[in-house]
Amino acid sequence: MENKDPVQHNCDHYDGHRYKDMKHRKYGDKEVDVCIVGVGASGGVLVYELSKAGLDVVAIEAGPFWNPQSDFASDELHSYSLAWQDTRLSDGKDAIKFGHNNSGRGVGGGTVHFTAVFYRFHENDFRVKSTDGVAEDWPISYYDLEPYYQKIENDIKVSGPKELPWGTFRGPYPYPVREPISANSQIFREGCEILGVRSSVVPLAILSAPYDGRPPCTNRGFCNEGCMPNAKFTTLIQHVPKAIQHGAEILTDSMVTRLLTDKNGKVTAVEFVHDGQLYRQKAKVVIVSAFSVESPRLLLNSATSQYPYGLANRSGLVGKNLMVHSGHDVFAKFNEEIRLYKGTPVMAYTQEFYASEPSRGFVRGYTLNAHGNRPVALAKNLAVDGGYWGKGLRDVMLDFNFYAQVSLVGEVLPREDNFISLSNEKDEYGLPRPLINFSYSENDNKLIKDAVQKANDILSARGGKPAFVIPDSGHVMGTCRMGLDPEKSVVNSFCQSHDIPNLFICDSSVFVTSSGCNPTETVMAIAARTADYLIDKMRQGPI
Amino acid sequence: MSHYSHYPDYDVLSLINEWDDHTKEIVLKRLGPFPEPQFLEEKEVKMLRLIAKHLCYENRDDIIDWIIYFLDQRLKSNIGEHQRKSSLPQEKILIREGLKATDEATAQKYGKNFISAEIKEQFEILSSMQQGKAPMIPRWDSILQKELFDKLLDIMISAYYSHPTIWSEIGYGGPAYPRGYYRIELGWTDPWEPRRPGADKK
Repeated sequence: MENKDPVQHNCDHYDGHRYKDMKHRKYGDKEVDVCIVGVGASGGVLVYELSKAGLDVVAIEAGPFWNPQSDFASDELHSYSLAWQDTRLSDGKDAIKFGHNNSGRGVGGGTVHFTAVFYRFHENDFRVKSTDGVAEDWPISYYDLEPYYQKIENDIKVSGPKELPWGTFRGPYPYPVREPISANSQIFREGCEILGVRSSVVPLAILSAPYDGRPPCTNRGFCNEGCMPNAKFTTLIQHVPKAIQHGAEILTDSMVTRLLTDKNGKVTAVEFVHDGQLYRQKAKVVIVSAFSVESPRLLLNSATSQYPYGLANRSGLVGKNLMVHSGHDVFAKFNEEIRLYKGTPVMAYTQEFYASEPSRGFVRGYTLNAHGNRPVALAKNLAVDGGYWGKGLRDVMLDFNFYAQVSLVGEVLPREDNFISLSNEKDEYGLPRPLINFSYSENDNKLIKDAVQKANDILSARGGKPAFVIPDSGHVMGTCRMGLDPEKSVVNSFCQSHDIPNLFICDSSVFVTSSGCNPTETVMAIAARTADYLIDKMRQGPI
Repeated sequence: MSHYSHYPDYDVLSLINEWDDHTKEIVLKRLGPFPEPQFLEEKEVKMLRLIAKHLCYENRDDIIDWIIYFLDQRLKSNIGEHQRKSSLPQEKILIREGLKATDEATAQKYGKNFISAEIKEQFEILSSMQQGKAPMIPRWDSILQKELFDKLLDIMISAYYSHPTIWSEIGYGGPAYPRGYYRIELGWTDPWEPRRPGADKK
């Protein structure tokens, strides 16, 4: 029996229209106000906000326009097809794994398979150099983003606690906190309490009550595999359908291969490939929001004689300062069944170790999330990253239900040695494959060690027996950092290129530092702020 | 090989009528029958079946059939492999050349090919590959043995733990759409979930 893709996807979408070819374009040869490259967490917010403001917008996405009911399934192996599977060359001492753990493909991008953990950054996350004397400060403060954090939380009805013990924002969230919490989260909170460590239920972009035609969560637990009931927020189901109603045109299964510039050095159009055919979309403004690997890759690949090192790259920093979060998974075995597969994967956390603490011997900190898991992900990580196989692996997996898991989200400091560049190898579009180089620094490694110890302390306090630690990472950030100085950053505080005023880069690649928590809410808040700025500027005249 | 399970009475497939059609279709395909391999050659399949038995600690042929089918489909397709070290060849070359290397290394040490080697000898070869210490042969210059081992492990383990028989044995509740889970607190189970014999019905 051949595995068949059950769905034929359309590639051109606008209000009342859906086509399988590019012959019925809404904008076609017309120059639009804004063209957005990549429709993920950031691109989804941008296309929604800009089209709502009445601008003519085309958004182009490399992957399909997913239909949760027929494309998603309650199955891990199947869900890998929702990720960016194209081969990326990945080197370095701590070479990054790509795909399902960090990169989406298709409308919704990573929001399709994220855990929907929705944290705001803390004030000091924007001032790392001032507070700790390392890395750089952001050109914006927490307070510049605060109204946008609030807006995003409201737009998608984040479910969260009435009160939070950490950060500037202490709650309440628009929707009630999720309850009950899963056994794994319960165990974690009990362990924290025994040690006197404050913990909380997690703010989640998953509904605790109905909203906008979407039902509350059923604790099916397949957030990472694609939410079928639509209880979990994605830009696929929340922002993009509304953007289409507001007049946006979404092109899917279309890979943008190059940005075009004119003799004045401004961006004029994007080139994209659909079904082997090359097309162009002219635009007054182009926003690249294609992920911290694909955004710099596109800028580097768009080099011209005027911009021999790629677009927006006067500083030479396009692709540099690549960061991840250290994401080690810590497991302990219990005498009782925890059943990691049940419920929303992350429902409890602590940020008690978030801020720098001189006695620890490293700067910055981390979040510990109680984290659910499933057989394939667990066995695969145990095997490839933990060295287990054969009988050893089989024995661990037979006790699958007796393990509890805590995962860290650790701050990783930016370093120019960690970067993405273009390789000599070509992909199916003839584009150079990205080559990524990544290694942890000494500070990063000390932080990981401390976090693993704390996670084990928490699980042990509750009666767990430390079992294994699997090295992992999550989220990619920082390859087109924002800043005030055009020699030391790629974009300004509104994500606008220092070099090319009608080119914006807006996704996690503009992050100056990584923070020690899940980044999606900050990505979306930055996108909403960029949209506001752009709407205002475009009303005043050409950019 | 031991197939001890905490949940001897549990069969995840008995719940299949509660699953959505897409999930049902995907999972049922793992039970076979499977078409002939399209990428892998006969000798490669023979070797890979033996390797899968070692890596997964599994002897049941129907489960190995699924693993080989999955591997063959993956190697046949041109969809990417997420990431690869720049010094390594594409996975289809890594595996094809890697199997030749495995055979040569076995011959070097035991004077016979991998298929004819004793189970214990096969195990020794695979173990040494994981540690990068397999008998030296020229082909290891272009095929990194640990990377080969990890690649096979990654693909085979993914397939193995996607098989519903294995889900039943480890007590994985499995797909839960549309019905979801309601009793998620510690010590509680939904009535249809796997329970250990004699466990409290909470």
